[in-house]
Amino acid sequence: MKFIVTSSALLKELQNINGVITTNPVVPILENFLFEIESGKLTITASDLQTSMITEIDVEAKETGSIAVPAKILLDTLKNLPEQPVTFSIDEESYSIEINSDNGRYKLSGENATDFPKVPNVSDGFSVEMSSEMLLTAISNTIFATSNDELRPAMTGVYLNIEEGNSTFVATDGHRLIKYQRSDITSDNQNAIIIPRKALNLLKNVLPAENSSVSVEYNLSNAFFEFSHVRMICRLIDERYPDYENVIPADNDNIMTINRTEFLSSLKRIAIYANKTTNQVKLKITGSELQISAEDLDFSNEANERLSCEHDGEDIVIGFNARFLIEMLSNMENPEIFLKLSESNRAGLIVPKEQGDGEDLLMLVMPVMLNNYT
Amino acid sequence: MVRKIIHIDMDAFYASVEQRDNPELKGKPVAVGSPGTRGVLTTASYEARRYGVKSAMPSKVAARLCPDLIFVRPRFDAYKKVSDEIREIFHQYTDLVEPLSLDEAFLDVSENKINIPSATIIAKEIKQKIKEKTHLTASAGISMNKFLAKIASDMQKPDGLFLIPPEKAVEFVEKLPVEKFFGIGKVTARKMHELGIKTGYDLKQLSKRELTRRFGKVGSYYFQIARAEDNREVNPNRIRKSLGAENTFTKDLIDMQEVRNELENILEILHIRLKKSNTKGKTLTIKVKYSDFQQITRSKTVDGWIQDKSHIRSLYEELLDQVEIRNGIRLLGITLSHLNHEEHENKEDGSGSQLILDL
Repeated sequence: MKFIVTSSALLKELQNINGVITTNPVVPILENFLFEIESGKLTITASDLQTSMITEIDVEAKETGSIAVPAKILLDTLKNLPEQPVTFSIDEESYSIEINSDNGRYKLSGENATDFPKVPNVSDGFSVEMSSEMLLTAISNTIFATSNDELRPAMTGVYLNIEEGNSTFVATDGHRLIKYQRSDITSDNQNAIIIPRKALNLLKNVLPAENSSVSVEYNLSNAFFEFSHVRMICRLIDERYPDYENVIPADNDNIMTINRTEFLSSLKRIAIYANKTTNQVKLKITGSELQISAEDLDFSNEANERLSCEHDGEDIVIGFNARFLIEMLSNMENPEIFLKLSESNRAGLIVPKEQGDGEDLLMLVMPVMLNNYT
Repeated sequence: MVRKIIHIDMDAFYASVEQRDNPELKGKPVAVGSPGTRGVLTTASYEARRYGVKSAMPSKVAARLCPDLIFVRPRFDAYKKVSDEIREIFHQYTDLVEPLSLDEAFLDVSENKINIPSATIIAKEIKQKIKEKTHLTASAGISMNKFLAKIASDMQKPDGLFLIPPEKAVEFVEKLPVEKFFGIGKVTARKMHELGIKTGYDLKQLSKRELTRRFGKVGSYYFQIARAEDNREVNPNRIRKSLGAENTFTKDLIDMQEVRNELENILEILHIRLKKSNTKGKTLTIKVKYSDFQQITRSKTVDGWIQDKSHIRSLYEELLDQVEIRNGIRLLGITLSHLNHEEHENKEDGSGSQLILDL
């Protein structure tokens, strides 16, 4: 079997799906790309058993055939080749692969394509349509708040609750919680799934930024995403998502309104002076002034800044992990935000002053305990 | 080659520092710890020890034994400073220094920086330098292994210097009452007495199998030390992997309320140790040893840091659900692991701790 393809075009497709491949896979053959050629089209698959990605590229080929190609060697070769047509010649008896370029000849040994695990189908599934831009926003708004705690598998993914009219994305690691609602997802059904972080990260890297449509099909165990010529199928997290609604306070009526970028820049400066373990910053809201301060007693570092804000409620002093606040505020786009508080040991809420069209974003963050006598 | 090990132990360390820094306390019974009903002493001065006041004793009991006892709150910063000073002295002689806590360390001086062949002379010099630098006294034990050096430092306290020469080691251990053995607590000692084991010689008569059958895993350690053997090296890079406290009971515990009371006492001691070393951890383990020496452990790992008392209490309460009383419990312990020492906490009151959503 033989085919000819442009080196850079092939490299681009491989890089789209290469993120799936793990360094030490359960089955060694998963260190390979699966190449399948049929009617002048090369279909490439990468998989880690949990997640698989498939892409396609047109090639010059007369025959039909398949082979598993060692991913790292192939990628490294293509990365270092100047753009040009390269010829792949595959001996389907010995699984040896020969690549011919203007620069020379490279020979590597592949594996039998039939040993490559079969990618599952989503049968009896439901389907949803969404725009790639919307999905990208939902992923970047939530993914940073997922947990690494393997003991709580549900929280290592993003929860997607699909309902007619409103669909909700939720992520939490127990310290913060993000709830992002969209009213512009087309669906004819109501269901809830938990999508693993790895799959979402991969999507985030390959989803086209320009507005195109993503179709999602899913059943209880797998979800299938398709956009342009790329497909991804991932196993869903089969766990009960924690009852997040109950931890979102409804009565945080101590409300500060502030310019998001000013707040964010101030936090980034103050955080430099915070204790490196706790990242603790202190927010003191009095009248229409927000005082942000931090100290690190180990190094006698301290800093504080004053910002003007609107404030409706009692004076309050509350501590937060600056990293959490910075991450949350960086992932918002709105010019002004509300910080809604109740007590210094209760959850705080960050919400945009004006929500975007068809969206509703809420970020919750738990405080850090402050020393009582300062 | 026979090793030369020195064990240095500061005398009534915290209390002595307090007496040094506050002349009004000199010559008086002083206890470092909080006087509250749930408080536990960390150290008692020698004046207080005459009344039977001991470290790790509940403050209430101590106050009853010695009505004139003066309670002083611990100042860990001051102790840390002295600790650094004495460690600097140790390192003038050898880098093989293994600190056991702020006030105790093993030194391997088999080879030393000033080429003095006599460990006794080195120990004398170290004691002298400690006195000049800190105005505090230390006791030194010298022998061929850690076990013997540790026992030796306890022989002449305070301001003691005691050598167990290699050729006398076996004989020394044979005559040593079991309650003096490092690693044999008062409850185990009592149990040994009941079995007619009063000295190292008696202990040596038991086979390794017999010892492990009666005392569990630690039996093989008893077998070794009864022969004055201990091959453990002085490890200068020993990083503490866990920090805990435990207690063996004179009478086996047979109901949950007793278990809870005892855990509360152990928690007090653990809490002091955590504060003393500025330690926090991610995993809490409770250890339960039954009357038949069967041992179980149950643990729980959390996302944030475990450090404050109420947090530890709520975690062990949760773990208690997995613990049965069976025929009676002879030992309980609480241990914190997955510690982080590179990161220092500023405060000791639970502040700085990240709150968690109730999910």
